[in-house]
Amino acid sequence: MDHQTLTSPASAELRPQVFDSISKLLPKVLGREIPAMSEDMKLMSELGMRSASMLELLLEIEDDLEIQIEVEDIDDAAMTSVGDLADFVASHAITDG
Amino acid sequence: MLAAALPREVSVTAIEAVASYVPEQRVSVEDVAGRLGLTTMQTRLFRRFLGLAEIRLDPDGSLLDLLSAAVSRLAELRGREQLVRYVLYARAMPVVEPYPVNTLRELCGAFGLGHAVSCTVTHHACATGLLAVDVAGRLLAGDEDAGALALVLTGEKAFTRDAQYVPGTSIFGEGAAACLVSLHGARDRVLAYASSIRGEFDGRLDVLPEMASRFEKEYPVSLAEAIAAAVSQAGMSLQDIGLILPHNVNVLSWQRLCRRIGFPADRVLLSNVPVTGHAFCADAFINYTTAADRGLLRPGTRYLLAAAGLGATFSAMVVEH
Repeated sequence: MDHQTLTSPASAELRPQVFDSISKLLPKVLGREIPAMSEDMKLMSELGMRSASMLELLLEIEDDLEIQIEVEDIDDAAMTSVGDLADFVASHAITDG
Repeated sequence: MLAAALPREVSVTAIEAVASYVPEQRVSVEDVAGRLGLTTMQTRLFRRFLGLAEIRLDPDGSLLDLLSAAVSRLAELRGREQLVRYVLYARAMPVVEPYPVNTLRELCGAFGLGHAVSCTVTHHACATGLLAVDVAGRLLAGDEDAGALALVLTGEKAFTRDAQYVPGTSIFGEGAAACLVSLHGARDRVLAYASSIRGEFDGRLDVLPEMASRFEKEYPVSLAEAIAAAVSQAGMSLQDIGLILPHNVNVLSWQRLCRRIGFPADRVLLSNVPVTGHAFCADAFINYTTAADRGLLRPGTRYLLAAAGLGATFSAMVVEH
């Protein structure tokens, strides 16, 4: 997936923060360290995440970045890699402001 | 493999009447989660993302109380008890009481149905309610009395951890329904039934992570296939379906499934999910009574009952009001 396809300026601005937040929070949700976190790392097949842990991660990101994430549109493609999830969160975030 | 209902010549199973009951006591998902020992995040995702807010429980009530409350609301049964030849208790859990307790027979005795053949229908987990309607139709088709009726019951007590909670997916509450089934009835005519059994998913998903991962991937695919099979068997397309009456697993999974199959999520009756939780096999029928009360079912409305059961079974039934 091309990670440069974000269209909204606000989403594009949020995107790096989301990736940093995922990198910080994934070890907490999974309960283990993740060496060499990358955009292409596969959430389910490599990291063993399931939908429940994915939703827990989204909650942690909401708290961390003080945003709300609209999950109604989430699909398998959005949960494939770390980068895909970062794209989804950045483009489906509603900031408190 | 998808199994379709066998042709029954000209007879058509009809759901003549449905009554439902949910206990008055409301319990928040936070309270349930506290009893189950869930973490804060495990708890929050139910309300925040999955659309589950509270369930109904009757902690002092028995299984007999639960089922009786539904049967007593089935006004169409009054005065027709002698016509009822079969009483089928559809349930998700195969064992719910110790020998010699027999709630079903007690209930039959209490409602003037002691003469009826009664049995449990199970092993389709939360999809067993739809199976029981199909079985009722088959039994009636083989009965020499064309006016015979069958009573299908659903409703279970959520009394153990496994019976209350599917990790990250759903929380079970108590609720019950009673359906009067006939052949040749004017309504609601069962047009098609399709069910797929995937025995490779038989196991406790919370302790079998590899199976759980495969099940998560397979769930939407198999449920979509069951829905497509039932709709096709009815000679229709999804556009002909006015309403889906779902099992109340959670809101998000139905939103995702709707996107997959191209069906508007606002035509899936999800309004009970936040207030009842997942009531085992009873959901679709409880949702039926909600739809009827709201005037969502008009003469000719074609609707679809859909349910998935752990273990795993994926079922759909197309019905015409």
